[in-house]
Amino acid sequence: MSFTVRRYFLILAAAAVLWLAVAGFSLVVGAENIWQLRDSQPDAFNQILSSRLERTLTAALVGAALAASGVAFQALLRNPLAEPYILGVSGGASLGVILATVLLPVSCLTFTIPALGLTLSAAGLAGFLMALVTVGAVYLIAQRHGRLDPYRLILTGVIVNAFFGAAIMLTAALAGDRLRNEIIYWLMGGLGSLRARWGELAVAALVILAGLAVFVYQAAGFNLLSFGEDVAASLGLHVERRRRSAFVVASLLAGVSVSLAGPIGFVGLIVPHLLRMIFGSDHRLLVPLSIFGGAIFLMIGDRLVQLVPYNLVGGLPVGVVTALCGVPFFILLMRRSRTPQGAAP
Amino acid sequence: MTAPAAPNALEVRDLGFTYGQGRFALSGVNFSVAPGEFVGLLGPNGSGKSTLVKLAMRLLPPAAGEIFIDGRRAGDYRLRDYARRVAYLPQENRPAFAFTVLETVLMGRSPHQGAMGFESAADLARARAALDRVDAAAFADLFLDELSGGERQRVMLARALAQEARLLILDEPASFLDLRHQYELYRLLRDLARAERRSCLCVGHDLNVAAAFCDRLVLLCAGRVVAAGPPAEVLTAAKVREVYEIDADVTLRPDGRPVVLPRIEQL
Repeated sequence: MSFTVRRYFLILAAAAVLWLAVAGFSLVVGAENIWQLRDSQPDAFNQILSSRLERTLTAALVGAALAASGVAFQALLRNPLAEPYILGVSGGASLGVILATVLLPVSCLTFTIPALGLTLSAAGLAGFLMALVTVGAVYLIAQRHGRLDPYRLILTGVIVNAFFGAAIMLTAALAGDRLRNEIIYWLMGGLGSLRARWGELAVAALVILAGLAVFVYQAAGFNLLSFGEDVAASLGLHVERRRRSAFVVASLLAGVSVSLAGPIGFVGLIVPHLLRMIFGSDHRLLVPLSIFGGAIFLMIGDRLVQLVPYNLVGGLPVGVVTALCGVPFFILLMRRSRTPQGAAP
Repeated sequence: MTAPAAPNALEVRDLGFTYGQGRFALSGVNFSVAPGEFVGLLGPNGSGKSTLVKLAMRLLPPAAGEIFIDGRRAGDYRLRDYARRVAYLPQENRPAFAFTVLETVLMGRSPHQGAMGFESAADLARARAALDRVDAAAFADLFLDELSGGERQRVMLARALAQEARLLILDEPASFLDLRHQYELYRLLRDLARAERRSCLCVGHDLNVAAAFCDRLVLLCAGRVVAAGPPAEVLTAAKVREVYEIDADVTLRPDGRPVVLPRIEQL
């Protein structure tokens, strides 16, 4: 398939329309019938709509960030099994969120920046800061002779994740019953568990949208990197520079997502593969499609979660539902696809 | 240092490189590839062939000496400009994901495109012409994985042609090819050199296929050039003995090109 401006914008326009449709659907469909409320109870109507909007936007942002981050890691590491959490970012961010939740007094869990009029959650901020620290540490450990070696990176990420995993378990073990429950539920990955506030949603949106824009711009380079660094360089790509910036952006996207909504699995791994099977491996298309696809996937997943009558604040963890519904679909598509599922690197 | 009047496509002067520990991978290497010339680079394992390719592709910085491309120091080119002049073909190049043949060849256009890499009709025409040139137009919509090794190398060559580089640097491109595909690839390279005046530097292990098609051979041993010149002058029994430490009978084909037949009974 050739990559012309016309085809590019046609496909992306279709994806955007589908995105809008799903977002609209997410606002309208739910346990409460908002049309009835609109005239009789305007206050309740506004409140429900606002809360659904908050949740829909969170799902859209996190889904887009995770899927795009997954595509980038897969291309950078030339590994179809790579996913946003491969470099240990989720472990670091999770530990930050959990430690803040456990250690801070309830009155400190949110704070306001008066100059901006933003209310942020301390746990989310702690998660994001820990994500940054983790990324920095992983890069420093993995670096050798001023170069980032992909295999050392993966190994370091796995080790660091194991370390943070143990620290999280220790924290959970020492916490009281109620907190332990909360931690375990949060670790399952549910958008409702850590309810994003408008303030942090706005900050996260800024970081995520900037990161996504960088990836759309870098997508052509991901194609070249898929053929290995020597070939990519011979085709005019500054490999080391590109790798560094893309790793940082991908890690930031993953870190923000975990801080905002907990470690939601599956999206970052599966959505890129689903789209590759349908549209091919060309990253110039795959990156923007993953942004829309990840958003759509998580919005639908979150809607399904809310429709399940389940007596739990926030409902079932969305990661569970996306995996339960996504895996059979994935298998079906993989069986029918002509596209080879990635060669050994 | 002044460049020569009629610049060579590739000129290597007093090139030296070390991986450290005082062991020189290359030292005092001199040779050149003229425009339209097909040069074979031969030598035993560890003789420095791959290091030389890496230096010529600017993947490593030289420790001593210089490399000139079209009369200008290699390091003075911007990376994209370099990619417009020099194309690289590795031993085997399989991408991490499934790309079609046409997508792969179009990537050769990337040094000529903007950052987003949108393809113009001209890019597409060049890619298709390149596929035609290597007789692979029929594969355009297949995935690389669906091709044989020989077909895949032709596609990679098409990518290099679409890149419009005048100099092709090939690192053992025929290692995984059977006899016939080896000869076909070398013949294609020779034809490209003759018909389109593209210059080729091709690293290889097979002395006979290189002798049959290359204009000149450069024989490396332990990081130094042992012999350079027309195949019949380079591949003598004495040189083969010196470099590969094996006795061989060297006969000449009717066209004067040498054939090396090792005496295996002595092994």
